[in-house]
Amino acid sequence: MPISSLVSPPLGDSPLGDAFGADPAVFDPSSPDSRPRRSLVSRPSISDSVFRSVAFSAGTITVLIMLAVGVFLSLRAGDALGVAGVNFLFEQDWSPETKKFGIASVLFGTITIAVIAMCVAVPLALGTALLISEVAQGRLKATLVTLVDLMAAVPSVVFGLWGVFFLQANVIPVATWISTYFGWIPFFSVTDATGQALTEASAFTSSAFIAGIVVGLMVVPTQTSVMREAFSQAPIGEREAAFALGSTRWGMITSVVLPFGRGGIIGGTMLGLGRALGETIAVYMIISPIFTINWEVLKTGTNSVSALIALRYGESSSFGLSALMAAGLVLFLITLVINFTASSIVARSRSGAESD
Amino acid sequence: MTTTHRTQATDPAASAGPSTLVMTETAVELEADLELQAAFVRHTTNIPSSEGIEIGPRRRMRAARVDDQFNVFGALAAGVAVAVLLFGWFGPLSGYVGFVIVAFIAFIGFYALLVSLKSDWQEVKDRVMSVVLSSAGVLLFGALVFVVAYTLVRGQEALPHLNFFTDSMELAGPLDGLELGGIFHAILGTLMQITMALIVTVPLGILTALFLNEVGGRFARFVRTISDAMTALPSIVAGLFVYSAIIVLITHQRSGFAASMAITVMMLPIVIRASDIVLRLVAGNLREAAYALGSTRWRTVWHVVLPTARPGLATAVILGTARGIGETSPVLLTSGVTAVVNLNPFEGPMISLPLQVFDFVKSPEPNMIARGFGAAAVLILLVLTLFAIARLIGGKGPGDLSRAQQQRVVAASARDLKRITVAADRRERLAATTADAWPPPSAPPTDPSSPAPTIDLSTKEPSS
Amino acid sequence: MTPQPRWIRSIRALFALAVVAILGLSGTLSAQAVSYDPITGTGSTWSQNALDQWRKNVASNYGMTVNYSGVGSSAGRRDFVAGNVDFAVSEIPFQTAPEDGSAPEVPSRGYAYMPIVAGGTSFMYNLKINGSRVSNLRLSGEVITKIFTGVITKWNDPAIQTDNPGLKMPDKGIVPVVRSDGSGSTAQFSLWMSKQYNSLWGQFCVKVGKPASCGLTSQYPTYGNAKAQSGSAGVAGYVSQDYGEGAITYVEYSYALKAGFPVAKVLNNAGYYVEPTANSVAVALLQAKIKTDVPVTSPDYLTQILDGVYNNTDPRTYPLSSYSYMIVPTEVGGVFTAKKGLTLGAFANYMLCEGQQQAAALGYSPLPMNLVLAGFDQIKRVPGADVSGVDINNCNNPTFKAGDSPSSNQLATSALQPAACDKVGTSQCVTGTAGATDDTATTGTGTGGSAATADTAAATAAAAGAGAGAAATTANAAAAGTGGAAAAVYDENGALVSGGTGGTVSTGVAGSAVASPFTLADNGWGAQQSIMLFAGVLLIGSAVLPPVLWRRLKPRAPKAGNK
Repeated sequence: MPISSLVSPPLGDSPLGDAFGADPAVFDPSSPDSRPRRSLVSRPSISDSVFRSVAFSAGTITVLIMLAVGVFLSLRAGDALGVAGVNFLFEQDWSPETKKFGIASVLFGTITIAVIAMCVAVPLALGTALLISEVAQGRLKATLVTLVDLMAAVPSVVFGLWGVFFLQANVIPVATWISTYFGWIPFFSVTDATGQALTEASAFTSSAFIAGIVVGLMVVPTQTSVMREAFSQAPIGEREAAFALGSTRWGMITSVVLPFGRGGIIGGTMLGLGRALGETIAVYMIISPIFTINWEVLKTGTNSVSALIALRYGESSSFGLSALMAAGLVLFLITLVINFTASSIVARSRSGAESD
Repeated sequence: MTTTHRTQATDPAASAGPSTLVMTETAVELEADLELQAAFVRHTTNIPSSEGIEIGPRRRMRAARVDDQFNVFGALAAGVAVAVLLFGWFGPLSGYVGFVIVAFIAFIGFYALLVSLKSDWQEVKDRVMSVVLSSAGVLLFGALVFVVAYTLVRGQEALPHLNFFTDSMELAGPLDGLELGGIFHAILGTLMQITMALIVTVPLGILTALFLNEVGGRFARFVRTISDAMTALPSIVAGLFVYSAIIVLITHQRSGFAASMAITVMMLPIVIRASDIVLRLVAGNLREAAYALGSTRWRTVWHVVLPTARPGLATAVILGTARGIGETSPVLLTSGVTAVVNLNPFEGPMISLPLQVFDFVKSPEPNMIARGFGAAAVLILLVLTLFAIARLIGGKGPGDLSRAQQQRVVAASARDLKRITVAADRRERLAATTADAWPPPSAPPTDPSSPAPTIDLSTKEPSS
Repeated sequence: MTPQPRWIRSIRALFALAVVAILGLSGTLSAQAVSYDPITGTGSTWSQNALDQWRKNVASNYGMTVNYSGVGSSAGRRDFVAGNVDFAVSEIPFQTAPEDGSAPEVPSRGYAYMPIVAGGTSFMYNLKINGSRVSNLRLSGEVITKIFTGVITKWNDPAIQTDNPGLKMPDKGIVPVVRSDGSGSTAQFSLWMSKQYNSLWGQFCVKVGKPASCGLTSQYPTYGNAKAQSGSAGVAGYVSQDYGEGAITYVEYSYALKAGFPVAKVLNNAGYYVEPTANSVAVALLQAKIKTDVPVTSPDYLTQILDGVYNNTDPRTYPLSSYSYMIVPTEVGGVFTAKKGLTLGAFANYMLCEGQQQAAALGYSPLPMNLVLAGFDQIKRVPGADVSGVDINNCNNPTFKAGDSPSSNQLATSALQPAACDKVGTSQCVTGTAGATDDTATTGTGTGGSAATADTAAATAAAAGAGAGAAATTANAAAAGTGGAAAAVYDENGALVSGGTGGTVSTGVAGSAVASPFTLADNGWGAQQSIMLFAGVLLIGSAVLPPVLWRRLKPRAPKAGNK
């Protein structure tokens, strides 16, 4: 998208010009004091009140839909939460049949996968967004923009298939390599129950690492798209001022584009994080679900709330379903907190402030 | 999407100039023509003359010198060489990925070294970061293109069969070859479901985003918090919600409508959030300018905010659509599985492409798996088509004009000019008849034939 | 051909519109004799492949529309309870007293269990000995249970070695791969374990935190070294990858067949190790009983009793055989109407007879006569079903002919007996199983022999090698290495005897010279690592230092002029 389109006012079919130019008599400078002092409070026009009420009702409907989901989740989760109580957050096992179920390990797995996905996705998205908005020119730029948007639509089941049938086999040597040389970092070691380091390929399959890479690749286009949009809005005047002061392009990026696009970076990251936390099918196909907290991200076995729901939904009793709803509710509340934090950061950032 | 305007706009000379309220090239020429005549008219808007200002060829801001290229290629060769040596002889390293990582790190190091031989620290940083950014892009697009290519290659068994696109699976079972059956029913299902979802999502989403930005207030902040929070609603939960709220309570059967509702619940927050971000980015001074000119809030929204944000809004809708069209989990529980064409969204199961892919690849039969990849490839191609259409409709910024639009703009500006000059002429005549009450401040000779060129102009305008 | 699809499409669209119109009028139109209302069902993923094929067949032959969605057995039962579907398919009967305190599954309308598709739980594995794939593994039921409950963790466990006298089992960890999603395969497998090896299964249940009497489950608990993967495609995919070496999973026979991987032969009550072919499952199911000795109102009425199957003493039996039910309504209610009953009855009749012809090709096994007869009784209870065509003598089922009786039918008389080398003892067939058609040379102390039922390729190989008259056996793997034959094991397969029981030990030529890959013993830091690091630093230094030093040593004066 051209920068000009957003920094210059629209001329094409804007009727503003017509509204003021059509009848010169509206503007009558010859009698400046002939009228009483104008009230500063304007009476809203009919179109304005209609617009306000329509917009207001749209907002209300949205909130109602969203609240319906939340309220519904809470109601359906009530049964399970009533039984499990606060222990729901600390119990690792998941066996609603014996009333011994909790979300600790599942949530841990969800967050592990999302964090790994972000480690993969954010640098890539940031780099690509800057590449598109600052480095690429002309036709290449247009192509890349379209490509990014297109990639956002690759169905997650395709990523899942790719992850299972291609990536897993090819990423195992990397995982082995990392665990061999960086095994002294607790996250990267792969050990069995007795602390002995494992070297077999099968110890590295279906891990949070692999799921994280796949989910990361899946969310990159979404993040790139949002970030690029924000970067392309960075004010021209300030860009040029930076250049005029002798800045290099990278200097300009760090001093103008990145600070201005901070809101977009955070917003995009959060959008991607939301998708990473909630991703179902690809994770479902890759992970080997376990119900213990596994700190060793390269080692087989992790879990995710949405994959758990998809895996257990078909064979759950109604109580089991309620427990799944409770898991969904907790995930939902956590993302709510994360997103709330993010939006307050975005609100305080410069994006969308005066652009020159 | 014409690229000339974009480059012109990013050109500092053009955008920093005083009269660059989107000035198309033709308009520039035309105004140069008109200025001479207009200059003679008293009490008119004075348009500064560009006469005598030579517009040279556009300066290239970043020329790649020969030694730059040498730096890149030299560093690349050095990086690969070091990696080969480390992997082949010195180190206990193995694996393709490790090789690539080591080679890349070595490449960056050598490149920085080479650049630093001639340039200062700032430039080294600049160059290295350019290379890093490009590498990120190459890596990302490489990976994504690979994922898509993998799908297409695996799908090539099914794709050459025409019946794959025109038949449903009604008359084909797991044991049948690829020359029987297809995914016509799933394509239709996807299109119908996403259309129904968009019918709800686009107006509701954009209106809500407008509410957040243009109306504001405490309630708007609440709405924003809620919708932001919902962007991360696990898609499977959207499916569960619709299953229990709509299927169990109301329709008592899985249907295309239920599936589209699940997609809607999932898409809506995404569209709202993405639209919210682009609407926020509409420069505040544009809005203020509109308000200052006396426009109402609604007119400002309709004529300033929305057109300015249009490409961004299109992106927002595309992002939402992309997510909605490719997600399996919300439809997993809501749409049901069928092998026949079902055009009634309220009755009977209606499968969509992602679910069909998921359903196909679960089968042990190689033909079904081939169909699964074929269906995934079709899904990708379908999305590509939708994107092309969306870009055509809404992807262009207000400054990017098509040929016809350019002509209309030129004609409109010519009309404006004519109106201004005619009004000025009328005022002048008025002034002439009512004695010389206000003598003209500056005294350019009155040109009696001043209206003539403007009339000429109007006859000339179609040819411009 | 090219113009055809277009008109097919338009006809299809018209047909769909017509269906919609008929649905809209909700049966007020009096239909003609052979018009069938569409029916919809959900349930077992295990049966989905068969139902997909049958759905297609009835669509093209009779114009019936059957929608089936494999969402899982429990979800299918839930849908049936809610009256959202016309039928459900499940491996587990309705849970009228769920242990977890959920609402009991009590359908509001009457229902009946009808057997529809049978199959064996097969054990697909990926195992290599000295770099060549094993395709003739044999396991007893107890060993299988111990593997999948974490008691046996190594392939060279004595119990496995006893089952496989012809193989020198490697010292490699077993990776059991289980289903991560709820599935009918898991339910059938765990039912078998809980019935046959109750104490082992009970101990396992306690180990994973469940009551000792936990019985069958659809969700396999994760334990120890086990990997869980989603779907049959997922577990089969895992086992068939390179990194899946040492893995074993329970999966439908067809997946192993399609993936080109072998399945384990399982020991039956007659002392034979049998492969889960369509016939061996069907023979086993001849002993399947259906519970009819309880009142019709009992929730257990018509449920399956598989004890006879598991302990069938017919030597052709594959013990882990079972079948899934279709749950059909016996009363009108919910979305189900008598008009749909007509379709359901005809579809069920098709499945039990004609449909079973394709069961083997789909990776299942045909239902034997006793179960078909039981199914027929249930069709007759479906309201609206046309019972005139339901006749055992007109039933084109591959396991019996017209006039057969459950005690004496075609299957029972004609199914092939297992080969002698499959009997418990010191001999072991070398013929491959399932998708793995290559033979496996014996590497253990036992003898090899090709099965009597071997395919022609194996038979000719056996004939070619018959002159040798000696089984290619070696005392141990180390001795195999000294044979000095660098050629692949398969090249040596001429040395096979048909049904050989001879104990002659030849000098080892079966070993292949495949080296085990070099692995780092540990990741400790030693002198070797230091030297490597030093070499790496030296390499980079030799490339980087000259220009840097050159710049340092250059006079600084000219640089001042530079920007």
